[in-house]
Amino acid sequence: MSTDQTDGFGDDDLADDGEPDIEFYGGKLASAFPLVFFVVWAIVQSGILRIGDTTGLVAGMLVALILGLFLVKGSWTGYANTIFEGMTRRVAATAVVAWLWAGMFAETIQTGEFVSGLVWAADAVGVGASMFPAVTFILAGLLATGIGTGYGTTVAFSALFFPAGVLLGANPALLFGSILSGAVFGDNLAPVSDTTIVSAVTQDADIGGVVASRFKYAIVAAVLAFSAYLVAGASMSGLDIAGDAREILVSSAEPLGLLHLGSMAAVIGTAVAGRHIVEAISWGIVVAFVFNLVFGLADFSEMLVFRASEDIGIAQELAFLPFVELVEAGETSVGGSLYAGAQGFFPLIVLVLLIVAGAQIMIRGGGFRAIQEWLLNSVATTVRRAELTMVLGTAFVNSMITINTAAEIAIAPYIARLGERFNINGYRRANILDANTSALGYIFPWSGGVLVGYATLQGLPDEYAWFEQSMVVNPIEVVPFVFHGWLLVSVFIVAAFTGFGLEYISDRESEEVARA
Amino acid sequence: MSILEKYLAGWSFRTNKPSFDVGDEVELFVTGRENGAQIARVGDSKLRLDDDAPDGLLDKRVRLKVTSFDDSEHVGEAEYVETVGESAF
Repeated sequence: MSTDQTDGFGDDDLADDGEPDIEFYGGKLASAFPLVFFVVWAIVQSGILRIGDTTGLVAGMLVALILGLFLVKGSWTGYANTIFEGMTRRVAATAVVAWLWAGMFAETIQTGEFVSGLVWAADAVGVGASMFPAVTFILAGLLATGIGTGYGTTVAFSALFFPAGVLLGANPALLFGSILSGAVFGDNLAPVSDTTIVSAVTQDADIGGVVASRFKYAIVAAVLAFSAYLVAGASMSGLDIAGDAREILVSSAEPLGLLHLGSMAAVIGTAVAGRHIVEAISWGIVVAFVFNLVFGLADFSEMLVFRASEDIGIAQELAFLPFVELVEAGETSVGGSLYAGAQGFFPLIVLVLLIVAGAQIMIRGGGFRAIQEWLLNSVATTVRRAELTMVLGTAFVNSMITINTAAEIAIAPYIARLGERFNINGYRRANILDANTSALGYIFPWSGGVLVGYATLQGLPDEYAWFEQSMVVNPIEVVPFVFHGWLLVSVFIVAAFTGFGLEYISDRESEEVARA
Repeated sequence: MSILEKYLAGWSFRTNKPSFDVGDEVELFVTGRENGAQIARVGDSKLRLDDDAPDGLLDKRVRLKVTSFDDSEHVGEAEYVETVGESAF
C-alpha cells in the first residue's frame, strides 16, 4: 500500500483487512520500533543510570521517531504525517489540558502551607513511635490526594516527617514505606494526579467518575495497609536518639494550612458530581487563591508575579500593584504558583504528544494489531484472563519504566483495546491501569518515587546534626514496607480472578469523554 | 447517577458470563466476527449482530437491541440500531 500523503488514511483504524497503512522493512512488528526504542532508552536512563529527567525521555522519543524513518519502505511522507495524526488526537490534548490545570492547583495549595497544616495535625495528634508510621501514611495520603503528585508528597514528607519520626523512635524503613504508601494512595485516587488523568482519558472515561469508581479498591487496600502499619509499628523497633521530635514539627506547623482540605473538597466534589474537570479544578484554584489571600497563607505575588525591570518608568508606576515587583534589568521574569505549576508539566506534555505519535505509527504500521491479536488468541482468551493480563502487563511495564506516567501512556492503548474486546467498562479499565501504575512507581528500588525520597533522605545529615548517614534507608530496604502499594496490586489480582468491581460497558456507561 | 451511587457502584462480584433480556437496548463495542456474523463479546457471553447490520463495525461502539438470549449457552442475537462511537485508539 502506498504511503503517499495524497492517499490519506482510511477511517477505520483497524480495518479487518490486515493491510497496514505504512510498510516497514522487517514486517508489521517493525512498526513498534519507535516505542520499543523509547522503552529501552527509558530503562537505560531511568532504570540503570537512575536519571529521572523527563526531558531526557523526550530526547529519547525524538531519536526513536527519527530512527524509525529508516525502516519505512518507500515514501517517508505517510510516516511523517502519522506523527502529526497521533499528536493531534483528542486523548493527548485532553491530558495536556487537565495537567496544566492540575499543576496550577497543586502548586497553589502547596504555596498556601498545606504541608504545614498536615505537620500541625501530626503534632496535635501527639502520637508515639509505634503509631507514627500509620498516621504518616494517612497524612501523606491526604497531601497526595490534594496535590496529585506522589513525588512531591514523598519529598515533603521525607524532609519533615521522616526525621521527626526517627527521632521519636519509629522504625526508619517502616516510616519511609508509610510515606511512599501515602504517595501511592494519592497518585492513584486524586483527580488532579497526572496518572489519574491519563488513565481516564485513555479509557474514554470522565475523571470524576473514575475517582468515585476506584474508591472501593483504594479504600480496601488502605484499610489493610493502615492496620499493617499499626501492627508493624508496634512490633518493629526504631533507633534510640536523644532529641525532641516536636521541635522539628512545630517549627513548620501552620494550622490554617488545613483550610486547603476545603480546596481539595471543591475539586473532588465538583468532579465527582459530574462537572468537567477543567471546571472542577478551576473552582479548586479559585478557592485556594481566596483562602491564601484572606487567611494570609500566601501573598498574591507568591501565586502570580510580574518581575519587571526597575529601569522602566511604567513598571515603577505599576509597582504598587500586588503582582508587580521591580527587579534589576536582566532578571525580569513572570513567576508564582500558577506559573510554576503549569510549567512543571511542560516536559511531560511534550513527552505524551510524542509517545502518542509513536503509538499511532505502531497502529498504522500493523504492529499494534499483531501484538493485540497474539494476546487475544493466546493469552487473554477469557475475560478473567484478559483482566489478569491487563493487571500484570501494566505492572510489568511499570517495573521497567520507572517514570510511571510515561509507562502508563505507553501501555494505555493495549489496556483500552484488550478491555474493549471484552466490553469491559472504561472505569474498570482506567482503574486497572492506574492502580498498578501508581503502586509499582513507588515499590522497586529503581522506581522514580523511591529515588526522589532516597535523594531527600540523603540530604538530612546536612540538615540535622544528630542525623547520621547510617539512618538513611537504602531503597532496597523499603521494598517490603510499601504496604499500600503491594496491597493495591494484590486487590486487583484478586479482583481480576473473582470479578470484584467488574463492570461491563452495558452495565454503566462512562460519561462523555468530552467531559473528561 | 448521584454522587453516592457513583461511589457505591461496582461493590460486587460480577459474573464473567452476563445475561441480557430480550428488548434490552445496550451500547457495546463490536469485538469480532464468528461464522460470518459480527459479534459483540461481553465478558465471556456473546451477542451476534443481525445480517442487516452494516459491515466493518469492528471496534466501533454501537447501540444494539437484544432480540434473543440463551441463558445456558450465554449466547444471543441483537439488532443493530446505530453506531455511537469508537475506540480511543
